[in-house]
Parts: sequence; C-alpha cells; structure tokens
Amino acid sequence: MQASAPVRESLVTGGKTVHDVSHDISRQVEGNPTRLWWMAFGVSLAVLTYGAYCCGYMLWNGIGVWGLNKTVGWAWDITNFVWWVGIGHAGTLISAILLLFRQRWRMSINRAAEAMTIFAVICALSFPAFHMGRLWLGFYWALPLPNTFGSLWVNFNSPLLWDVFAISTYFSVSLVFWYMGLIPDFAVIRDRAVKAGAKTRANIYNALSFGWDGAAKTWSRYESVALILAGLSTPLVLSVHTIVSMDFATSVVPGWHTTIFPPYFVAGAIFSGFAMVLTLLLITRKVFHLEDYITIYHVELMNIIIIVTGSIVGIAYITEFFIAWYGGVPAEQYAFANRMSGPYWWAYWSMMTCNVISPQLFWFKRLRTNLVATFVISIIVNIGMWFERFVIIVTSLHRDYLPSSWTMFHPTMYDIGEYLFTFGIFFTFFLLFAKFFPVINMAEVKSIVKATSEKKKSTTGAH
Amino acid sequence: MSTTKKKYWKGLEQLKNDTAFVKHADKEFVNIGVEEDPGHSRRDFLKMMGFSVAAASLAACETPIRKAIPFVTKPLDADPGIANYYASTYIDGGDYCSVLVKTRDGRPVKIEGNALSSVSGGGTSAQVEASVLSLYDNYRLRGPKIVDKKTDWETVDSEIIAKLGSASHIRIISNTILSPSTKVAIDKFKAKYPSTQHIQYDPISYYGVWKANEASFGTGFIPSYDFSKAKTIVSLGADFLGTWLSPIEFTKQFGATRKIDEEHREMSRLYQFEANLSLTGANADYRTMVKPSQSGLVAAQLYNLIAAKAGKAALAASIDKITYLDKAAEDLWASKGSSLVVSGSNDKNVQTIVNGINDMLGSYGSTILSALPVNFRQGNDELMAAFVEEAASGKVDAVIFYNCNPVYDHPMGEKLGAALKGIALTVSTGYTEDETASLSTYKAPDHHYLESWNDFEPKKNLFSLSQPAITPIFKSRQAQESFMVWAGAPTEYFTFVKENWKNWFFAKATSAMDFQSWWDNCLYEGVLETKTDTSASISFTGDIAAAATAVSSTYKATNSGYELVVFESYGLGNGSQANNPLLQELPDPITKIVWDHPILVSQADAKALKFEMDGESNTQIGTLTVGGKSIPVPVLIQPGQAPGTFGISLGYGRTKVGKVAENIGQRAYQYLALVNGSISSDVLSGVTLTKTDTPFQLAQTQTHQTYMGRESVIQESVLSEFKKNPSAGRDFPKVTKWDEKVDPSSLSLWKGHEYNNHHWGMSIDLNSCTGCGSCIVACNVENNVSLVGKDEVIRRREMHWLRIDRYYSSDSTSTTSEEAEIASANPEVVFQPMLCQHCNNAPCETVCPVAATTHSTEGLNQMTYNRCIGTRYCANNCPYKVRRFNWFKYHDNQQFYQSNPAMNTDLGRMVLNPEVTVRSRGVMEKCSFCVQRIQAGKLTAKRERRPMKDGEVVTACQAACTSGAIVFGDMNNPDSAITKLLKITKDEKGASAFDKKTGNPRAYRVLEDIGVKPNIFYLTKIRNKEAEKEHA
Amino acid sequence: MTAAKENFLVGIFDDEDVLLQAVGNIRDKGVKIKEVYSPFPVHGLDEELGYTRSRLPIAAFLFGMTGTILALSTQIWMMGFDWPMIIGGKNHYSIPPFIPVTFEFTVLLSAFGMVGTFLVVSDLKPYKWPRQYDIRSTDDKHVMAIDLGANKASKEEIRKILTENGATEVNEKSF
Repeated sequence: MQASAPVRESLVTGGKTVHDVSHDISRQVEGNPTRLWWMAFGVSLAVLTYGAYCCGYMLWNGIGVWGLNKTVGWAWDITNFVWWVGIGHAGTLISAILLLFRQRWRMSINRAAEAMTIFAVICALSFPAFHMGRLWLGFYWALPLPNTFGSLWVNFNSPLLWDVFAISTYFSVSLVFWYMGLIPDFAVIRDRAVKAGAKTRANIYNALSFGWDGAAKTWSRYESVALILAGLSTPLVLSVHTIVSMDFATSVVPGWHTTIFPPYFVAGAIFSGFAMVLTLLLITRKVFHLEDYITIYHVELMNIIIIVTGSIVGIAYITEFFIAWYGGVPAEQYAFANRMSGPYWWAYWSMMTCNVISPQLFWFKRLRTNLVATFVISIIVNIGMWFERFVIIVTSLHRDYLPSSWTMFHPTMYDIGEYLFTFGIFFTFFLLFAKFFPVINMAEVKSIVKATSEKKKSTTGAH
Repeated sequence: MSTTKKKYWKGLEQLKNDTAFVKHADKEFVNIGVEEDPGHSRRDFLKMMGFSVAAASLAACETPIRKAIPFVTKPLDADPGIANYYASTYIDGGDYCSVLVKTRDGRPVKIEGNALSSVSGGGTSAQVEASVLSLYDNYRLRGPKIVDKKTDWETVDSEIIAKLGSASHIRIISNTILSPSTKVAIDKFKAKYPSTQHIQYDPISYYGVWKANEASFGTGFIPSYDFSKAKTIVSLGADFLGTWLSPIEFTKQFGATRKIDEEHREMSRLYQFEANLSLTGANADYRTMVKPSQSGLVAAQLYNLIAAKAGKAALAASIDKITYLDKAAEDLWASKGSSLVVSGSNDKNVQTIVNGINDMLGSYGSTILSALPVNFRQGNDELMAAFVEEAASGKVDAVIFYNCNPVYDHPMGEKLGAALKGIALTVSTGYTEDETASLSTYKAPDHHYLESWNDFEPKKNLFSLSQPAITPIFKSRQAQESFMVWAGAPTEYFTFVKENWKNWFFAKATSAMDFQSWWDNCLYEGVLETKTDTSASISFTGDIAAAATAVSSTYKATNSGYELVVFESYGLGNGSQANNPLLQELPDPITKIVWDHPILVSQADAKALKFEMDGESNTQIGTLTVGGKSIPVPVLIQPGQAPGTFGISLGYGRTKVGKVAENIGQRAYQYLALVNGSISSDVLSGVTLTKTDTPFQLAQTQTHQTYMGRESVIQESVLSEFKKNPSAGRDFPKVTKWDEKVDPSSLSLWKGHEYNNHHWGMSIDLNSCTGCGSCIVACNVENNVSLVGKDEVIRRREMHWLRIDRYYSSDSTSTTSEEAEIASANPEVVFQPMLCQHCNNAPCETVCPVAATTHSTEGLNQMTYNRCIGTRYCANNCPYKVRRFNWFKYHDNQQFYQSNPAMNTDLGRMVLNPEVTVRSRGVMEKCSFCVQRIQAGKLTAKRERRPMKDGEVVTACQAACTSGAIVFGDMNNPDSAITKLLKITKDEKGASAFDKKTGNPRAYRVLEDIGVKPNIFYLTKIRNKEAEKEHA
Repeated sequence: MTAAKENFLVGIFDDEDVLLQAVGNIRDKGVKIKEVYSPFPVHGLDEELGYTRSRLPIAAFLFGMTGTILALSTQIWMMGFDWPMIIGGKNHYSIPPFIPVTFEFTVLLSAFGMVGTFLVVSDLKPYKWPRQYDIRSTDDKHVMAIDLGANKASKEEIRKILTENGATEVNEKSF
C-alpha cells in the first residue's frame, strides 16, 4: 500500500476516524434538510420555472424571439453552451487525471466536482437543443438513424455532428464514472439505514448500490475498472472541448478560423471548471461543515491550477492577436482590431480583466489561501469565461467579410430567460444531489484516513 | 422565357365558345371575392399554430390531402402545372412597359419584360415586377359603390346617366392616356355630353419640357432620347436611370454604353450635376453637387461654354466655380454629334436653354429623336390647376376621375378634395378606394390592367396591346365600357379595340394574312411597331436670350437659406402602388431604407442642425417646415446630399390605401407648386428643418456604408488605366506556402468533383449594374420570398435572397480604422448585387450536421428545406451572408398580415409561385439559381429530345435586369453567352472541371483569398474618369 | 429455507495493515478464507488472498476495438457508398473528418462494455441483497468470512488463529 509523503500537508484534519468519515458524510443524507436548503431549493425551482416559461414561449413562436439576426446566427445560445461545457470539464478532469497521477488530494472533492460536471453538461446540452429552428425534428435527425427517407444519413464532415457524439459520450461516460464511485457509498448509507431500522431507505439505497457487498474480489475488479475509466476519460475530457473548439476552428469566419483553438479552449475549460468547483465547494463546505475534508490545502492547490490555466488562456489571447497581425489577412486583422476597439470593446475588456488579470492575484499566498478572496475571484473568472465565449462568437460574427452585412446583436428577455433556465436546472439538481447523495467519496477518504489523520494526531501530540 | 412555351389567346371565339371555361374559371375565384380581409381571428391563428406545432412534432404525419377538382372540360392551352405567357402592357401614371405575364392555372404569378417592344425592350422596373401583387390587393374595390354602400352596376349607371343629363360642366380628369381606343371611347362620351372637357395631368409633371419644345420648335412634344448613341452625357439633375421620363428604356440604352472588354475599350462618360444623390448620380463618372437654386445658371453656364466653342454669343446668365462643368463642356464638344445634355428641371426656360445646347451639339437626330415623340407624360399643369380652381369655385357640376388620384398626387390635392363635396356628380374609376375615390360619390372600379383589354401608343407609330391574363376577380368593369355605357352606346371594349385595330392598322398591314391571324399575331407579340425615320433633324428657333433672362431672375449663384428637393421614390414611384409590400420592402437603392422615407440631410448640415445618427440607423425626428406647412420626418444623414439642401421622396403619406401602407411617411406632393406654368419639384426658399428630441429608428437593410478598402470585395479602376491594362483594378490575392506565394485556388486538399453535364454559373457586370433593384422584386415574386415588415428589418432579418450592396467611397485608405467607416461628403458609389455564390467548395455545406445543404452535380448549392433543422451554422459560416433564416412562421400568421399579405390572405396567396415551396418556420433558405426554371428548361429539352439551348433558362433576376448586367448560363457549354463573356478556358482539369478558369481580365470572384471558388463572377467596375481622380 | 445451513466464522479486523498480515498467516496455516469484506479497497489484499489479476482491461480493449471498427466502417459506408453526396467539394469519404466520431464511439463502447461486464461478473444488480456477514463491513470494519464447511480445521482452531492474528472479535454466522 502507499505511504503518504510526509512533506505533504494532511488531507483530512481534525483526527477523524474511519467511522467519523461514514458518520459525517452520511449524516446530511439521513437528516432532514435544513431551512437554508429549503430556501435555496425554492429559489432554484422558481428560477427554473421562469426559465422554462421562456423556453416554452420560444418554442411556440420561433427562434425570432431571441435577438439573433441575419448576420449573427449564434449568440447567447452557443455562448452559454460552450460556457457550460467548459465548466463541465473540471469534474472528470479532477477524478480522472488526478487519479492517474495518484493525486490523493482530489479524493475529498472529486464527488462534488463530478456531480457538477454532469449537471453542467445537462445544462450545456439544452442549448444545442433549443437553438435549433426545428427542435422537434432535430433531436433525432441529428443522429445517424435509419429513417423513412431512405438512404438519408447525417453529415459526418460537420463539426456540429462531432459535437453531438462528443458531448453525449462525455456525458454518459462521466455519468458512469460518477456512479461507479457512488456504489460503495450507497452501501454505507444502506447499512446505516439497516442499523437505524429505516426499511424503505435501506431498500432504496441498496438498489442504488446494486447490492454492493465490498468483497475483496469485487474491490480489486472495482479498482481496475476505476483505473481504466480514468484512462478513458482523460483523453475524452480533452477531446470534448477540442471538438467544441472545432465548431469554430474549422469555419471560415475571421476570428474563428484559428488553429490554436483546441489547446486554448481546453485550458479555458479547465480554468472555468476549477473556478466553478471552487465556488460550489466553498458553499458546500460551509453548509455541510466539511471543513475537515475540504481543507485550505485543497483550495490552494486548485488556485494554483487556476493561475496556470489562466495564464495559458492569457497567452492564447495574445498569440491570436499576433497571428492575426502577422498573417496579414485584412478581414482577420479587422476582426481583432474590432474586438478591442469595436462596438463590443466592453465585452473584450471585461474578458481580459476577469480572465487574465484577476487570477494573477493568486501569486500571493495570502490571497491563494483566503477563502473569501478565492470565492470572489472564482466567480469573477466564471464571468470572464462567459465573456470570452461571447467575444469569440458575437464579435467575430457581427462584422465579418462583407461590410454590407455588418450588424449588432442585442439580447432579448428570452435570451436571458434561457440562460436562467439552465441555472435553475443546475442548482436544483445540485441541491438534490447534496441532500440525497454522499457529497464526498467515503471509500476513498477512508483509505487515506489512517495514512494522514493518524499522523496528524501524532504531530499534534508532539507539542 | 422560351418561345416554345409561349401560348396566346386564339381570340374571342375561344373565350365565347367555351362557356364551360368561363363558368369554371369564375368558380375558381368565386369565394375569394367575398372577404374584405383574410378574416382569421386570433383564435383561428392559435388553432392553426396549435395544429402546425402538433403536426410538426408528430413528424411522421402526412399533411392533409386536399381534393383538387379538375376542369369538367379542360380549356385549350390551360394545362394544370404548365405556365402560359400572355403579352400585355403595364401602364401606371406616365410609366409604360410592354410585358409578358406568366400565368399558372389561370392566375398571373409573374411579370417579365417583352423583348419585342422597342420602347421598354424587355426591361422592367421594380414597380412593373411588383404590379402582379397589386392585382391581388385586398384593398381593391369589390364592385361598384355609391358613397359607402355596395351596389350593382345598373343602379350606378342609371344614377350617373341621370346626373350627367342635368350637368352643364362635365370634366374628365385622367393621367396621360396612351390608348387610342380609350381616346375614341372618351370622344363618344364627349359627343353625348358636349360640355365635357377632358383634362390630363401626371403626378410627375414634364409639362415644362413639353412647353420648352413648343417654344424651341413650334410644336409642343416630348422627344425620344437615345442614350446608347451618346459618348458624353451631361445630366443636370435628370435621374434618367431612376425615374426621369422613361427610365427602363434609358437604363437599357445606358447599360449598353457601359459594357467594355479587351476588344472594345470605349465607354460613355456621364456627368451629373444634382442636389441629392440620385441613382444616376450614383452611376455617374463625375458628380457635382449643385443646389436647385443654381441649376438654371449651371445650364446657362454650360450653354456659354459650348457657345464659346461654337462661336455663338454667350447668355446673360452665368455661374462659375462649378466643378467639372468646363471639363463636361470640353467632352461634349469633343464628342459633338454623339453628345447629350438632359435636364431634370420642369422649368420651361431651363429646358429651352438645354435644347439650345443640344442644338449646338447636333444632338437632334442622333441622341434626341424629335421625329419619334413620346406620348406619355402629356399632362398639362395649367389646365389641371385651372380645373382645381373652377372646381373650388363651384363652376363644375360633374367630374369623372379616370384611373387617377389627384387628391393625393396633385399639389393642390387638399383644395380639390375639399371642392369635391360641392360637386353634384363625382365618379372615380380607380380600382382601389383611394383618396380621390373615397371622396367621390360613385365608385365605378375599373379592372386591374392584368384583367383588361386595351391598346397603347407609347410613341408615335409604336403600338401595343394589353389582354386579360385572368378573368376579373371582382365585379369591376372596364372603365372604357363605363364611358360608353354612360354615353348611351354600350359596347364590349374587347370588340371595340379589335374593330379599331382592324380599321386603323390591319388596313395598312403589308403582310397579306387574314385579319384573325394578323390579330392573333398582334396579341402574341403584344406590340405592333412600324419603323419611322428618326434621323430627321429639327431646327431650333427658341428665344434663348429671353429664357436666359428669365433664368437669371429665378436662379441665383448663392442662396443662404435651405432648399428642398422633392423626388420620385424609386420603390413606390408616384405612390399609386403604395399598398404593395414588395415595393415597401424594396430597399431604396441609395439609402437602403424600407417601409419609410426620411428627409435627406447632408453631413455638414446635420452637424449644423445637431442631428446625429448611429450605426444602427437611430436618428431623430425633425420638423420640416415649408411655406408654413410643417411635418415631422425622420432624418437620414446622406453622403452626397448638396449642403444647404434637403431631399424628400414622393409616394408616401397615403391616407386611403389599405393596411400595408397605412400611416407610412408624409405626403410630399404638398410641397410641389406651380412655378411659371409648370409644377416645380424644387423649393428654393422658406424651408426650415428643426431638430426634435424624439428618437426614431429607420429600417435600413444595410447599416454600414463603406467597404473598408477591402479589395477582395470590390475591385474597380478607371478607364484610362483599363485601356493600358484590361485587368486594372483586379486584386490577385496570394497564399503563402512554405516556399512561395501561390494563387489560392491552386491550393486544395482534394481534387474536387467533375460536373459532366451542366455547370451553371453567373456573371455580374458591376459596370452596367445601375442598382435599380428590379431584380430584387423579381426574385421575391419568383421565389415566394417572405416580406417581414419594418420591425423585423430593424432586427436585421429581411429575407431577400438577392440584395444589392451599396458602398460609398471613404476619404480614409485604412482598412481597420474608424475613419474608414465614414463616407466621403460627395462619395463615389458602387453597387454589388449579392446572392448565393454557389461556391464549389461551399463552407455552408460542410458544416450542416444533417446534410440539408449539399452540392448538385451541376454546380448548384442546394438547400433542402424539409431536411433542415435550423442550426444556422451554415449562415454563420457563409462568408457572403446570403443565407436567410425563417425566424418566425411568416405564412398564415396574423403577425405578418400587414407586411406579407401574399402568404396571409386568401386573395394574396394567388400570387404565390406554385413551383417554389413556401418555407416553414425554423428552416434556412437562400438563392437557388431559380432551380425550378432550370429543371423546367431541362424537361422541355428532354421532351423535345434535344440538348438544352443557351438562354433557354433565364433566372428571374437576369430576366428583370434591364441593363443586362446579369448573365446566367451553362459554363460547360462552349457556345453559351457566359462562356464567351467570361472567356472560360479549358484548363488541365478539362472542360467539366468544377473550378472554371476565366480568360476575361475583368472577371473576379468575391473573396477569392478564402478559396471557396464561387460560381458567380463579377466584372470589375470601371469609371470613365482620369487616373489621378482614382480614389485609393 | 430448505437448503442446508452454511455456517461461517466471521473475523472482524479494525486495521487494514493488521488484516493484511492476518490474511497471509491464516492462509499459511491452511485455513481457506471465503472472502474478506472491507469498507474501502485495501491495497495488496487481493494478492494476499491469491486472487488472479482481473481480465476486465482485456474486455475494455475488445469493446473499444469493436467501437473503432464499427464507427469507422459505418461512416465510410454511409458517406462514401450508400448515398454519396458532394459536400463542400470534398471527397465523398476521407479519414480525417471521421476521426472525432470514431474516437468518441470507441470510448463510449469501451467504457460501457467494461462497466457492464464488471456488473455481470461481480453479480451486482439493483434487486439483490448481498449476503452480509457483518453490517459494519461498509462502515469501518474489515470482515473475514471463513466457511466452516470448506475447512478441515475445527471451529475453535480457526477462532484461535483469528484472534491470534488480531481479529478484534470473532462471531458465528449461518445462512
């Protein structure tokens, strides 16, 4: 078995025992929801309802209720799509890549992060769906299904079709990965329920745990499955945003047609993903009193990743400009000049401030380890990443090749409503998850409790 | 249209004998007459919406099958699904056009020019193209009315006859009448009622020209002009390409002089001296901004300059510091005998001076055909004014308005309108209940011209016919019949016309055939023309000195106050077709504004008057005051508008017009006035414009004015350069490989597909395109393009498949700076028709996830509507932004009733082209190169077991293009016009290679550098000016 | 139940390291261990118990390969042979544009195939209650089940061996 490097800070504090772990984590599943939870849930539901109305209105009347026009065919819809997909990257990344690198600090955060991934991807998926002029046909015409029209297949040259496969694969594999992790923990809750004599809950959670028994043989299979899933998910998670970026990179639109998009988008995705993970974890941590499991150390490590990815993104922005100038294509040069000084300069500069400047503050350890600062900056980063997509999509489209077609884009209440709708979905799901599922991977944490928390005790005993 | 498909009436017999046809044809339309509006309530709309949503969501469902009842006995030549063409004639106000009417199953669906006419020569205008929808105007009168009560013809006739009997001052008011038979009919009426006086006037008056010729040559007339012979053209504010006198004819002639190639490197040179940037000014090689108050003096000065060369005395009037005037004089004199000076002024004296100039230049007999006078624009302003006066003073006791609307379109309209109440008998034969009709007691609606028989004599000895292309939709009656009924001699007008032609022309007909076949032939061809010798010159005897003194008193070199120029709208013309959404949504060629008319203000004046306009046509309302009459008008800052002048167009501000045009714009006719004997469209003094704080957003289809110096979009040069090097102005982009720079088209990852059968392509000559916009309307009608209305256009969602990009030159040479977005004060203008380029490497095709847009094996970029799921990815990825998305359900949707009656009213629906799908909500659409016409052409050829002939397939835009700027054809056919024009060469890839190589040095593809390889080629714009004037 | 009762001796261990030693020693003493149940994966336990390495990776690989071949061949067939269309002037079929879908489909099949196999071979299904020797095995105890029927050694001997090797308690359980 592995020994934890003594140089590392302990990952679980407060001298927790294995039993404490089961108890602390299962507690909030078994207990009744707090008033705070109810309030939050009510708000999310309200937002969801309003958003649903906006979607319904749009479906009834047509895409025209949005602010799009002949020149700007995509705006908030695809901006939000890419934004959500980006956010959906951290979860699987944390679980998969960090698992491969045996980064144990991931263990207390990956569960929540994966959940976030899944809900974010659901939100993301809603936009390609709603943005179609004929959703009622598109949702199955976009799949290569045998059909009544004879030999009528989809166009495998289209990046949009690659998206369909990429996002749906990413969603289902992440879901499986996440659920695999949950199985043993459901068993924990089941057995606690048996002990407590709560028959129904016991049955439900047994079903959820697929009748998990924790036999050594199963564990060893389980581990290799987890390892391979991680191995599969790592290229997958990188492929998803690569393919999303191809929607733009393979086009002819000046400002889209850029070869650096794949790495740049992936970095941006991890960047925004980690920011969102932080935002949510800091809340969960507070609400469910998980300070001992999600420690400052975790936060700091994630902040470091944010500095790195944030800087990569910043460099990407600069590279784009250099290449546009160096490439000497007038339309391309104008596209980028227009970003900085055109009618949408404000979007561009908010992007720059939020994404390039704000994360640099994390060079200061005091800010890096300060929860409030982290929380604020994580939100700023998410705003910045939204603007990044808006800048890429709208400012590139609204003034492209023929000046005669140059237009402006103005969102309507339905653009906004659609965005709120996804927030409604996201938080409703997340709250349900936080209430009924173990928010921290108990099995994994248990496996490191001995290695770390005991050492903690000894060190505290020393002085 | 191919002659093999043309069908024509076999004459009255067929109509008469086949009563079944008439009866059933009637039946076909019997139930559309009844309803005043489509009569769908909101609830119906919701029901339909509900149905469509339900039907759509159950995608497997079939649409309900409607039973089609066939003819009991099929009328001859009326095959379901086969189009019939009838030669006819369009006439409106003073405008004349000989046309072919395409009908499907008894319904006119499209108008095209009749190439056999030497007047309109196959050309059309936006109004002509749009007139087919006016036939199905819901505002048309359903039958005779007394005041507001519907009634029958018997009642109307008896009452009118009774009142006429007791009348002692009867007046018939009409626009210029071109029809000999109508004149005879009116004479019959006059004979019955001797007190009758027939007064002709035209909304747009040319009376000044008429009088000037009377003064110059003894007889009053308006000559024909031949611009095709002119090497140097100087136009003093005459917008002959847009609205002046006979624009269709002139556009054709002018276009011919702008076609150049390696072999033929000469073209005409056009000087324009005008106040507001007109279509002609936009096409001019040299344009100078001149205030109306100076225009007379400019004419005089030009006379002086020519006189100096001709060794004649100078005039008392003169003006200096008019840019290019001396140069113009030089050129005129140099090309003596093939020069032409025209003036848009309606001032007799100015026109006299212009006649003097043309006389010195020897234009008469060469570019001015006095021997071939035109019969249109014969209105007499003095008589009309006199009539209004006597009507006001109650001297008239009966007036019949024959297809005219003076209450709206005459400057003294209000006065007349008020006077009508006092007149015992007021009759209007207008086919809609317009301003005049609604104030008249008796509404005796005439047929629409597409339902009428009539004959015309637009020019001396040039005759044409119009014949019904549909049985009358409503209980209207041919006005000529009405006259004869009231004259107590009821005659069927068809027989009447036929008899007249028998007596007048058949007698003279040289070719010996029986009358019937001769008559059939006349109907078939639509025109009957006898050649007249036009070379005959004419001696100028005008008192030019007197004219000069008059001019010097009217006009002055400097005028402190603001001046107003009132001009005819390009879309709406004189306003008679204002209720036609095709015209309302036709972007003004210059301002690109739809559904409204702003007041045009120069950049300098806008600054002075504190008007501001942003990039989204947000402007302010200004209060225009002329002689105490104030109206609120939105302001448009217009480059090229002469400082110190404002411009406003006619045709708007209709009050009794129907839902489409309701409360749009202001009636500018009120600012026209009778100035020494003729109506002047310039107000020289007493004009003020004050800013209000009311914001207003204009609906412009193009909000960005310059092309940012992008050579890959617009490629132009000047003639002097072109003579040296025919590829002058061409931009040859290069792509950098690792080792060398190469032509973009030479780089490709794949070898492409061969088009072994046909390869359709198009060439657009930027040099001869005048930007008139008739192609846009033609495209809309042919392809059932939805009209979306002002609000949607403001949201930048117009659906036009074909648009004309209009770019102004800028003083800045930068490609990125803000300055480059600002147009020059007096800009050069270039028009670029933009439609789907049918790229061989189409970016739109690659990105469609469901393969709804693919390429045909004939080079067409095809759009499969019923496969489209509406991701709009294709539109985003289209570098030309020609794809149009159905943001809403534009058909059967009350929201779009006003803007799109053709898809929302049962009457309007009859205009829809059954060969083209009406697109549903949520799908993408775009130009298809009129694929329905291509298929029809292929089928005909196949049926006749022969290869397709070149010119057999003509796209709607090409057919409508009067100046012949658009050429369409098969680039695989070595003999086709387009192959010859573009000099398509066989390259190593062989003749059927998808990427055609062109030998024409002027031919270029827009955005060559991105390598999408379009099938549309543009020919560079060459301005006939000196090199040093070439702008960067 | 009609079937003959199976009797088990259940050793409870608190600490995974103790357990690991214990397993080794007990097996050396020739006692057959039915199975060990832990709240979390104990590394090395499977070796100690003498389990062979799982063959799930091979399954994953085979499923993946199937996905690759299926995706690639389907795309080539649809675009190139079943109904070729001219799209953007490109060749009817070329490999590069087919890579993304192929990759995604490979991952999809491989992941689902493997997880499915895992559930089947480990006999995990929602409607099944596992045989639980000690309910604390999912909380914090490591539970060693020894089938008395399968061992020659007597109950007492085994109990002794267990306690010697650090089992905190030893219970009997029958099913």
